Amino acid sequence: MKNPKKTNKKKASDHPKLNNNGINRMMKGIGVSGGVGIGQVVVIERLTNDICPKRVLKPEEIPGEIQRFESAVKDAAERLKQIKSHIDPKHPLGDHIYILDTHLLLLEDRMFFEGTKKAIASERQNAEWALSEIMLKITSAFDSIGDEYLKERARDIHFVGERVLKNLMGISSESKIHQLPPNSIIIAHDLSPADTAQIKRECVFGFATDMGGRTSHTAIMARSLKIPAVTGLENISHTIQTGDTIIIDGSTGVVILNPDPETILRYRQRHEVYRKYHESLMAFGRLPAVTRDGGTSVRITANVELVDEIAIAVEHGSEGIGLFRTEYLFLGRNDLPSEEEQFEAYRYVLVNSAPNPVTIRTLDVGGDKIATSLNISPESNPALGLRAIRLCLTRRDLFKTQLRAILRAAVHGNCNLLIPMISCITEIHTTKEMIREAKEELDAEGKPCDHRLKLGVLVEVPSAVAIADMLAREVDFFSIGTNDLIQYALAIDRVNEHVNYLYDTLHPAVLRLIRQVINAGQARGIHVAMCGEMAGDPVNIPILLGLGIDELSMNALAIPMVKKLIRSISMEECRDLTWQAFEMQEASEIHGFLDSWIRERFPKDHFVDAS
Amino acid sequence: MIAEEEMVEKTLTVGNKLGLHARVATMMVQTMRNYSCQVTLVKDGVEVDARSVLGLLLLAASPGSEILVRAQGLDSMEAINEISRIIQDEESEEN
Repeated sequence: MKNPKKTNKKKASDHPKLNNNGINRMMKGIGVSGGVGIGQVVVIERLTNDICPKRVLKPEEIPGEIQRFESAVKDAAERLKQIKSHIDPKHPLGDHIYILDTHLLLLEDRMFFEGTKKAIASERQNAEWALSEIMLKITSAFDSIGDEYLKERARDIHFVGERVLKNLMGISSESKIHQLPPNSIIIAHDLSPADTAQIKRECVFGFATDMGGRTSHTAIMARSLKIPAVTGLENISHTIQTGDTIIIDGSTGVVILNPDPETILRYRQRHEVYRKYHESLMAFGRLPAVTRDGGTSVRITANVELVDEIAIAVEHGSEGIGLFRTEYLFLGRNDLPSEEEQFEAYRYVLVNSAPNPVTIRTLDVGGDKIATSLNISPESNPALGLRAIRLCLTRRDLFKTQLRAILRAAVHGNCNLLIPMISCITEIHTTKEMIREAKEELDAEGKPCDHRLKLGVLVEVPSAVAIADMLAREVDFFSIGTNDLIQYALAIDRVNEHVNYLYDTLHPAVLRLIRQVINAGQARGIHVAMCGEMAGDPVNIPILLGLGIDELSMNALAIPMVKKLIRSISMEECRDLTWQAFEMQEASEIHGFLDSWIRERFPKDHFVDAS
Repeated sequence: MIAEEEMVEKTLTVGNKLGLHARVATMMVQTMRNYSCQVTLVKDGVEVDARSVLGLLLLAASPGSEILVRAQGLDSMEAINEISRIIQDEESEEN
């Protein structure tokens, strides 16, 4: 979402007066991520070295101890992989996630892994002891480095070692970080990148840590998440308790513990510009997305992965779920989810969204990402490989289970079924055949299922665009998945830094592909939605409306802004802009044109900065 | 056997703005998985394994510093070329 520039100027009057009751106690750290956060403290405890048990081993205990260490390392690696797999590639942290890969490599690093095992064997130290000695050795080697950035990497060794130590000591390495109440300000000695990656932006208003500087990965991640953060506070985690009130100003690095009402008021005012704007936007969330002339209405829905996100989507004004991703049910485990487990998950989403529609997308990953039991070998080019519907039609048992679960759950709400990565008509024929089989089986078993479940194609492969007219005769709706469609159409891997400058949503080719899909849908009278990132970026909205899109599904936080924009423009404007944009030959020209139009038309809004 | 292969050496200058930092080290270790040769990096008399993230970070190679890369094995030329590309790359930076 948008975030107006905070002033960095500090006036003397901003400093609250100190007194002895611990009220307005001020601390100064390093402001690493701008913005003001006011909320309730949640202290995240971390392990300290002094509680580590030390014991000299009997010689016969050594092999067992080494094994115990190896399995603790293995568990730590598994958990890191799991955290990583749960992070959406489109997550705002983006490619900073690579630090989790660094942590995985640290776990298997010779110095760390072999070094500890050697210490267990030769020094006869128990695993915890040996490990903390090795960690100490490694981190003190980092201490002697002059370079500030590299010095910070000692923290990474610490996070990795701590994960293993906790496993050894049977302490859950899970902090409560992913299940915090709203208004939380996280206070910790330090936050690991894995912790930060699990923070929910909706609940966490800021964080402050003892350790860290501007170059810590935690600071980098905070900026990506747009959460106010202050680091380098030295001992804040021991000074304050869970439940206390705190203000953190991530622009100036000032933290105020137990602020008095006057101070809170002053800081609230500072945040007022942003707040007011945000609130006025939220009011738009409750209104329908109808163009100013009253002529056209667009359904605005949310992309959702975890069931907790439904409440946020509703609060922001979503009129259903335009994309419910089912991958989370399959990732981070060794087996496949059962029909019952899936049925419960889908039913929950449908019941909680009713009467609004929920579009459930069937499994959309490569086989290498899920159950090891699938025995699928790594592919040289996974983006063009065995994934999504291709995987489902190869492993029909897996697909049938998911279809049965969805068909049964659909009875409990308003459900649409969306098939990803369709590239030819046969895939749709086979899918329909399998749906028919699943219905017959369920009927025979006497289990209720939805016989009129609507079926849609996720249009994301250029070949599906080319045969959109044929596909439109087979299904009830289209949803355009722009993220993949753009990558496949422009032959660009977005995460490849050498070519990603070529990735442009407003490439004339992309706009023409979208037009072709919408026209094919309209010719058959079927509903056409869009569920990629493109759908939530205000700059694209006039054109999408001009082309005749029926539904836009987006990140819930973008909904109020998009609704406000749609309510402020007329279809005549949209068609005019679309017509002009289609005359242009270069993506940059189209981008510049729409950018300046939106800035001039809405000088007080931040539609462009928001993207 | 590997021992029969000639040792290849090359001196490189760190092109990265932040030096041989975590992203570069991670990339290097991951890349080395595709090669079978022995590769070490030497700076100021300290020699580390190109397959150890810790070793690479502890080299504390700042931007512009010189590193000697030593490789021995069948694919040592290819490995050295790949490492040159990673170390000398000026684009990759931490933000």
